Order: sequence, then C-alpha cells, then structure tokens
Amino acid sequence: MKRGVTLYSYTGDFQMGTMNLEQCVADVADMEAEGIEILGETHVEGYPNPSEEWVGQWHGLMEKYHTKPSCLDSFVDSMLKKGSYLTVDESIAMLVRDMKLANRLGFKIMRPTFGKSPIPVPELIEKALPYAEQYDLKVAIEIHSPARIESDWMNSLLEVISRTNTKRFGFTLDMSIFSKRPPHYFEDRMLRRGAHENIVRFVGKAYEDHLGPEKTMAEVRKMGGNEADLSWASLAGVYHFSDNPPQDLLKIMPYIYHIHGKFWEMTDDLQEYSIPYETVIPVLVKGGCGAYFSSEYEGPRELFRASDQLRRHQAMLRILFGEAKETAVGRGTGD
Amino acid sequence: MFDKYMVPTRGFQNVRENGDIVGFQMLLRITYYRGIHLSLIGSLDVTVDGEHFKPEQLRFSLGDRTYTMDELGKEENVHWPFGQPAKLIVLKPGGLQPGIHDVQVEQRIVPAYMPQGMGFPGNMRRKITLVA
Repeated sequence: MKRGVTLYSYTGDFQMGTMNLEQCVADVADMEAEGIEILGETHVEGYPNPSEEWVGQWHGLMEKYHTKPSCLDSFVDSMLKKGSYLTVDESIAMLVRDMKLANRLGFKIMRPTFGKSPIPVPELIEKALPYAEQYDLKVAIEIHSPARIESDWMNSLLEVISRTNTKRFGFTLDMSIFSKRPPHYFEDRMLRRGAHENIVRFVGKAYEDHLGPEKTMAEVRKMGGNEADLSWASLAGVYHFSDNPPQDLLKIMPYIYHIHGKFWEMTDDLQEYSIPYETVIPVLVKGGCGAYFSSEYEGPRELFRASDQLRRHQAMLRILFGEAKETAVGRGTGD
Repeated sequence: MFDKYMVPTRGFQNVRENGDIVGFQMLLRITYYRGIHLSLIGSLDVTVDGEHFKPEQLRFSLGDRTYTMDELGKEENVHWPFGQPAKLIVLKPGGLQPGIHDVQVEQRIVPAYMPQGMGFPGNMRRKITLVA
C-alpha cells in the first residue's frame, strides 16, 4: 500500500486560511506521503470548471512536491431540487461532471457519495461504467460505518462487479467500519450537549458488547436518560460506528481501490484510540492490497491540530506497513 | 464544522439605501466541509439581541446577486464556493445601534446523504461589535 493524505483532514485550516492548498500539499510531502486526495467542491477553485491556469498550477504542485493525485471525492446531491429527487439522467450528469474534472486533474480514482434516493445505487453505477471507461477512472464508492461487509447492500454491489466483470467499479474502504469503541471526541460532544457521564460510559460499554441500539436505548431509558443520552444510544449516535471483523475484508479485497485511513485521536503511544489498525492492516497487507492509504483526520476541529495528528497517523502507518521497524514511543508491532 | 467562525467580525454593519438605514448585514462562512449549490441551503435562522427575524426579512447575497429565501431554495445552478463568505442581509428599518450585539445564526445544509428534514446544522452565538 502507498501512503497518502486526504486534504479533507485540513478543512478547518484551509477554510480559515491558516493553510492554503500549496501548504497542505507541502505538509503531506513533508511526511513523505505521496497520494493527495481532495474534494472537488472544497479544494478546486472555480469548481466544477476550474480555469486552465488553475489546472496548470495543480499539476505544478504535484510535480514540485513529488506527490500524485490519488482520489477525487464527489457528491451526487440527490436533493438538489426541492420536492423531488434527481432522476437517473440528472444523477449521471452530475457524476460525469466530476469525472471530467477528475480526468483533467490526473485522478484515476473517484469516490462519489450518492444521496438518499429511490434509484438503487447499483443501477446508477452500472449506467456510469461507460463514462468511467471514457474518462479512465475507477469509481470507488465508500464502505463507511455503520456499513457491514457481510450485508445485502454489499452483496448488491458485488453482484454488479461479478455480472459485468468490470474493472471500473470497486470500493473506498473507510476504517470507521472497524471501530472497537466510540471516540472521545463524540463522547465529549454529547457531554457538552447535556448527556450524563455515567450514561455515556454505559453506552460506550454497550457498544463494545454489541448490545445494539434497541436494547441500549431501553437501558438508558431505565437509567433516566435525557434527550442527549438517548440520542447517543441510538443508531444515529454510537451505533453509527460499526465493528466489522477484519477477516471479512478477504471477500472484497480485489475491489478495494482506495482507503480512507479514518482517525479521530492518535494517542501518545501512536495508536488510534477507537480503531485497531494493528489488526486490520496485516489483513490488507497479506491480501496484497495496493491502494493508497489516505489518512483522514476527523477529530476535534482545532486550527493546527490536523497537521500534528496526521504525522502520528503516518508514523503508525509506516510501522504497520513495515517501512519502519521501530517506534520511538509505545509498543512496537511485535516483531 | 467551524461553527464558531461562521460570522467573522469584519463585515457586520448597517445597510444604507438612499441615505436611510434599511437593515444590517454580516458575512457568512459555510459551516459544512465543501461548497454547495444554493438550493442545498435548507434554512438560515437569525436572532440578534433576542429579536428573531422571519425568512421574509432575510436576503442572501453572493457575488453580484441577491436572493430572497424562496429564490435561494430554487437556485440549483449557482455554486457557493467553499472559501468565499456570502453576505447575509437582514431587513430592519433603522438597523442596529452602534455597539456590541448578541448574534445567533443557524445555517442548515441539506447534503445528499443526510436523511430528509435532518440536514447538517451549524450554530453560532457570539457578541459582535457594530461600528456603523
């Protein structure tokens, strides 16, 4: 696997102007990471039709810092029109708009997010395949928590691959689907919203024990939980995370084209507090995954924080990839 | 995401038309993580010094175009770039007195993947000083 960073990690610094696009790219290069992932609607000036000058500057940045475009994140905003969902043709047009952009910027992979819609995603994907061919792209939709690899949803997507035999459609694996316990960041946020400390502790334990939202909410009700407590105990709260067995990756390994190295908190001993990277990465390595592992910081949004947390994450990746054998702090990988 | 920076200090001022103060304005940053087409703005909600303003009293201005809230909901083709603050105008004859004001704004973005009616809300409440 190759190391990269999604510039989404720097969203706050980028918006507030503490870092511009070049400074973000330079920061990634400083970690000796190679892949640069961006969001069209965040990082591309003049989206969706940047000027030739801007496109030239983009390629210039990649050359200057020895980085490569890894993945373009795209959104099919199915609720663009008030009162009705986008039609199939409108959805495809939106996707093609970003495919053209991806192609101009040198991306080989794009990750579209499809919105809530009566049109099944497999249908849209299949209609998009000829365009993926035309613009030389792999379309990699995201497997993000609360998704499960063993699920009807996943099977409906795998069915498209097996039936069409396409090499143009696969997955962006988001590490959130391996969350062992809820991140501090979210717990702290719920406490600020008025949740009770003992209940937040209980909900975290319930998640770890796979109690499920219904039972957890029933217990929280018995404990006298308030609105914040109940919201945290629900599917929209702690159960928005998921805890898939890493071995399930074997089922989809050949179709993983990109990886979001999601993380919220890299601790002082170089571990992600919620996600057991050390049990997932060996499965990917053994499976021969060659995708970009794109660090995606999504923890507390404080200016200047992403840059430091990303370095910890990248250091951990180097160790787990076997690029570096030892670590200055904490435990090693056992070899 | 950076809710507390939604409204910058600069740009908070009264609006004059033909010599009369017809309201006040503030700059508005997106509290989401990407730019959006204007119709994805689900709602904007403004309260200043405890006075809540109706949608009919609000105008949203981007570049050289100004929209009512109804028009905003129908504008599917204009993109609000991520890095560009828009201008939010509140129609209030006489405007605000120079001084410190308690400003509360909620913007609700309705991106594709959020369940309908829920959206992605950004909230800010802070004191901002109006000079003129």
